[in-house]
Amino acid sequence: MWLAPILSLVGLLALVGGGAVVLANVGQVHLSTAFTVVAQVPEGPAEPEALRRRAARAATALDRLRPTGSVIVVDTYRNRLRLYRDGELIRSAVCSTGTGRVLRDPRTGRQWVFDSPMGERVIHRKAKNPIWGKPDWAFIEEGYLPPPPGSPERFDDVSLGDYGLYMGDGFIIHGTLFKTLLGRRVTHGCIRLGDEDLEFVYKNVPIGSRVYLY
Amino acid sequence: MCRSALASICTSLLATATLAGDTPPDPARVATLESEVSLAKKPGVYLVLDPPRRTLEIRSRGLVLDSVPIRGIEVVSQGPLLGSGASGEVRAPAVWTIVAGAGDTDREVIAPAELKPLPPEGEEEEEPTAKPSASPTPTSTPIPEPPVSYRARLDTGWDIWVCTELPPDGVWQRFVAAVRDGWERLRGEGEDHPPAVAIAMQPDDARRIHHLMRTGVAILVAAGAS
Repeated sequence: MWLAPILSLVGLLALVGGGAVVLANVGQVHLSTAFTVVAQVPEGPAEPEALRRRAARAATALDRLRPTGSVIVVDTYRNRLRLYRDGELIRSAVCSTGTGRVLRDPRTGRQWVFDSPMGERVIHRKAKNPIWGKPDWAFIEEGYLPPPPGSPERFDDVSLGDYGLYMGDGFIIHGTLFKTLLGRRVTHGCIRLGDEDLEFVYKNVPIGSRVYLY
Repeated sequence: MCRSALASICTSLLATATLAGDTPPDPARVATLESEVSLAKKPGVYLVLDPPRRTLEIRSRGLVLDSVPIRGIEVVSQGPLLGSGASGEVRAPAVWTIVAGAGDTDREVIAPAELKPLPPEGEEEEEPTAKPSASPTPTSTPIPEPPVSYRARLDTGWDIWVCTELPPDGVWQRFVAAVRDGWERLRGEGEDHPPAVAIAMQPDDARRIHHLMRTGVAILVAAGAS
């Protein structure tokens, strides 16, 4: 009487277990092994003194590559700009950076990627009351045909704010009309700052200073 | 932020560790420093994976721009339930280059259906304050958050796998994972991956380095005692 349900249960379990074993046999699992670094030392003098000389030479080379003076560091994920002078942090500011979106021209298929650049840039020009020469994408994004080069519609003296620091390839550190969007990724690749931070950066960053974006 | 600020001004820890004291420098550490010099000659961002110090640093020109603490690091390979994994030995110092990055894709594409002529001056559409602007107007479509687990292909043929937890190692968990993967394969959804260096970190750290896992970014694997 009571044997039948038990046998059914055992049968069911055997079926499920067997199915699981078959699936496990088909499946692949992640097999972990400890990450072990095996030192691979290139050929070269290995005596202590020679090693010291090599280390000193490399450290000096690295020091020469490292920038001095005013340095701007931009964290594009957290949307933070930090300004250092001779290694001391002198300003930390909320900024806006590139969306990472792609704009496609429906006529030609040409694409623009709205990323802030990564790596090193140099401030090669600064301007008060900067005028923005609007590129084609600024019109296409709004659904308009770009006007001919040099036409008055291409010049905008409002959007960049009071100051502009030019990093090349059209990338600028500038102000914004949309202050509520500071701290977010909303730009076409430029770095936007609030008014006070922009003024501080403008006044404390000479031309030739390095900008590091990551 | 404090760590970032401090990190960016201090001399490379690799350099100090190599030069400090009267003891002879560790040859592997010297080789690491020399490798970094060659990377720092270019203006890009590179990453330094330092397993002994459990950090992944974001650097450019020898400057430490930021530092990400690592919770765990392992070599992970796919195999049958009762198989053995790939060797976890990695020769270092080594420079790996990303050849297919997690940060390369997943971009939203904006494409207007058609373009219309600019309205004549003085006949601007809708909002009169909307002067042509360098900035997109505030948008209601937020940028999607990057994932916390993703892979990038390296020039070595392996992957670097950024995750928040290393794969479970218990017998029962592995069995469950094998059953799940077997079920997915039966449905034609299973994925094959090359061996990977899995790096576990906090979710926010995994998100914030996602965009750095791009094609062309170099990762220096440091060697030697720090």
